[in-house]
Amino acid sequence: MNTQTPAAHTVALTKAYGAGETAVRALDGIDVAFERGRFTAVMGPSGSGKSTLMHCMAGLDAPSAGQTYIGERELGQLDDSELTELRRDQIGFVFQAFNLVPTLSAGENITLPLNLAGRSVDREWFDYLVGALRIADRLSHRPSELSGGQQQRTACARALMSRPELLFADEPTGNLDSNASAEVLEFLRRSVDEHRQSIVMVTHDPRAAAHADRVVFLADGRVVGELASPTADSVLEQMRKLGS
Amino acid sequence: MPGVAFAYGSVGGYAQFVDHAGNAIGNARSAEGFSFDPNPNLSAVHIVAGHAPVGPHQVLMDLGTAHKHHFATGQQVRVLLPGKPETFTISGLVKFGSADNLAGISLAAFSLPVAQQLFNSREYYDTINVLAKHGVDNVALQRAIARVLPPGVQVVSGQEIASEYSNAISSALSFITTALLIFAFIALFVGAFTIFNTFSITVGQRTRELALLRVVGASRRQVFRSVLAEAAVTGLVASLIGIGLGVLAALGLKALLGAFGITLPSSPLVFEARTPIVALVVGVGVTVVAAIAPARRAVKIPPVAALVAQLEDQRDSLRRRIGLGSGVGIVGLICLLVGLTEPSIGLVGLGTLALFVATAMLMPIVARPAAGVLGRPLAALRGMPGRLGRENSMRSPRRTAQTASALMVGMALVSTIAVLGSSLGRSATSEVNRAVAADYLVTSGSVSREVAPTIAKLPGVETVSTVYEGQFDFKGSLSSLHAISPVHLSRTLTLQLTAGTAAPALAAEELLIDSETASSNALHVGSVVPVDFAQTGPTQMRIGGIYMQNPLVGSFVISDKLFVSHFDNPLPVADLVRTTTGATGVDRELNRALAPYANLTIQSRSQFEQKSQSQVNQLLGLIYVLLALAIVIALIGIVNTLMLSVFERTREIGLLRAVGMKRRQVKSMIRSEAVIIALLGAVVGIVIGTGLGVALSWSLRNNGVTVISVPLGSLILFLVLAALLGLAAANWPARRAANLDVLAAIATE
Repeated sequence: MNTQTPAAHTVALTKAYGAGETAVRALDGIDVAFERGRFTAVMGPSGSGKSTLMHCMAGLDAPSAGQTYIGERELGQLDDSELTELRRDQIGFVFQAFNLVPTLSAGENITLPLNLAGRSVDREWFDYLVGALRIADRLSHRPSELSGGQQQRTACARALMSRPELLFADEPTGNLDSNASAEVLEFLRRSVDEHRQSIVMVTHDPRAAAHADRVVFLADGRVVGELASPTADSVLEQMRKLGS
Repeated sequence: MPGVAFAYGSVGGYAQFVDHAGNAIGNARSAEGFSFDPNPNLSAVHIVAGHAPVGPHQVLMDLGTAHKHHFATGQQVRVLLPGKPETFTISGLVKFGSADNLAGISLAAFSLPVAQQLFNSREYYDTINVLAKHGVDNVALQRAIARVLPPGVQVVSGQEIASEYSNAISSALSFITTALLIFAFIALFVGAFTIFNTFSITVGQRTRELALLRVVGASRRQVFRSVLAEAAVTGLVASLIGIGLGVLAALGLKALLGAFGITLPSSPLVFEARTPIVALVVGVGVTVVAAIAPARRAVKIPPVAALVAQLEDQRDSLRRRIGLGSGVGIVGLICLLVGLTEPSIGLVGLGTLALFVATAMLMPIVARPAAGVLGRPLAALRGMPGRLGRENSMRSPRRTAQTASALMVGMALVSTIAVLGSSLGRSATSEVNRAVAADYLVTSGSVSREVAPTIAKLPGVETVSTVYEGQFDFKGSLSSLHAISPVHLSRTLTLQLTAGTAAPALAAEELLIDSETASSNALHVGSVVPVDFAQTGPTQMRIGGIYMQNPLVGSFVISDKLFVSHFDNPLPVADLVRTTTGATGVDRELNRALAPYANLTIQSRSQFEQKSQSQVNQLLGLIYVLLALAIVIALIGIVNTLMLSVFERTREIGLLRAVGMKRRQVKSMIRSEAVIIALLGAVVGIVIGTGLGVALSWSLRNNGVTVISVPLGSLILFLVLAALLGLAAANWPARRAANLDVLAAIATE
């Protein structure tokens, strides 16, 4: 795999809702790259376009103009079936809530994408993930029997099970208390450090963003700033600057 | 006589046209020959082309038959008659009232002397039509005429005849009406399940909304009323659409009958005010009643449900459900058993109904494990989507059970009919050997009198017996009567006697009855019973023998001689042919000799067996078509439930799509769930239906159902069909789920 190309990048990515003069540009010509083996946080106020950016990059939403790439593949060239395969095999997702299928056990949820693809499960990797996420004893339980933290950790395992090119996390700690949040964020950090996993996390929490290697700030559909090696304080500082 | 303006005698009888290809047109019962009455005031038919028949070789044909079979004035046509068939020239075409013919009956009108000769009534008339002079009191004239006529001749006014005809048609139609009403009731019953299910689901989905209503001050009573009001509006709209479709269907049917050559004289459709009123009341009533239980559940939602994130599913206690369900089931079984032994159709219906309700109540208890078992092969076959479909069918047992219940009712009825039909068919086949000793049967609605002597002259024929069929009044009720010659009786007909004698009793002008009639009327050999013949009046008959049921001759048999003396020029319905031992090629001879008689059916004994089987099958086919309606409604129920489930699981389906489930796999998941629901309904329905069918067949063991047969092949076919129909029902919900906007489904903002 070419280490020169980023895990994902966009070229003049634009997403507009509506048409003509009333059109609202959620994304307004964004050029951004997410490097391999790095943990990037995307921040911005509500309506800044950070979720739209993630949806377009993950092939869940189609851009109005511009291109998005996962590795070297341009998503605009793919049909629905190819996009689905891409999400299944090369992208991992952790959402804010409702990450798990209620009728399947935690263990089955983790292997769901592999089962949908009809691929065999890497037992060693599976055991490593559930061990690292401390859910090995909860695998036979249904999601309704798990705590919020356990549910999000199960979602993390599910997202990483297929060793994706890129993991998208959309406010993964939005519904968690601080202890459970820390546990999830530390695991994400660890997977970057130990397994060179590429991660893009959308968040509005400076403490969450502080776990990343780099923070990209969005406002009104444009990239308005960047911060390398962030801390909670430096992130807050930057936000205050952008806000004024 | 004073007061009489015009009097004209007429005669009528069997006269059936033969088409250009040499086939008899219609059947014997729908072929009417009569003398043409030249007075337009008395005649029901009037000439629209050509002229009245003159001389021995002219005939009038009805316009309907002429159009359908391409006959025109001046052409030759062959006519089957009580005697030998003859060829006539069509002198003209007639209409019956305003219609081209009389409800599909072909009309052949001859001049009076020809008709008298053809129908063998030279010395007398069947009827004398009298037209009163203007201003004459009809009743007085009627009495005056009656005084001069011999006893046994009726004098009736035109009005009386009209109302008599109308009554006869009504009573013939009342059976059809009853049958259709039963199917309509079944459809409503199945529909009620679907309505109940839909309201249960929507009340569940709107828990938060209903709780909010309670929070802002709605009383329990208001919540209850709001659900029922919704049901009433739904029922009203559906009923109005249904009435509209019904009128369209009636118009379509009329056109269809027309296409088959049956024109109904009553030109406009009769749309009574009663029809829409009853339909609306029944439609709205059923919908509201079906919504009562869901409405009561809605009332139980506490206001706090609006505030908490997830409310524990409110469930009726299992024990209560089991108790109530079993209770209803036991009552149903008792009704059924009593109804079957009584026998009382009403009780059987009520018991069946209760049994269905009980099954529907108990089904949620077994739905989860049953769906699990039924879904296991699917999960193995379709992989993850099948697995998820199976899990989905198990997650809400009540919903799955209620959806399956509607199909259960339809499938149970279909299976009942299948078992009953198979038993009837097998019994009929096994009885034919015991019914007929003859080698060939020559049958028709009307067999020409010339046929028996023709057959008797053929080589290889040992004996021919003529069978007549008519109606007589037996102990006050109109019954079917058969007659056969006592000569060579044992060579043609097999009568298994339980008491008395067969041929000697017939020869002594005594009556033979079947054992069923004997036991239900407490009659035995030597009993003397009052009977009444339409033409010759009341008389007494001695019972000379009692026989086991025989499908060919029914319940009453007398000798042919006696029959002919009581009936006016009867025509045989069958000739039974016995061949000499070792004779070959008799069927060829029969076919050749009887070729001019286009209306005859010539069957060997084995063909006759197959025929009786196929008649049963034809009836079954008709019932299946009507029951298909109930199945279609049940399928709409499955579509409905799946649509609601897809709607409810929007986020879940979105998640599955996001993590890599393909559209094809989403469809497969929904289809798997539908197939499991359908199979659940089908399996339970088929089990219950088989039980019902066996019970019904058993209760008919004294009415000729001697074999109880469970058609395993058909039942398996039903199961496969149900699975396929479930697959079809899933089509729309599956497409909906597959085309779900993933983004909208997972968006939290």
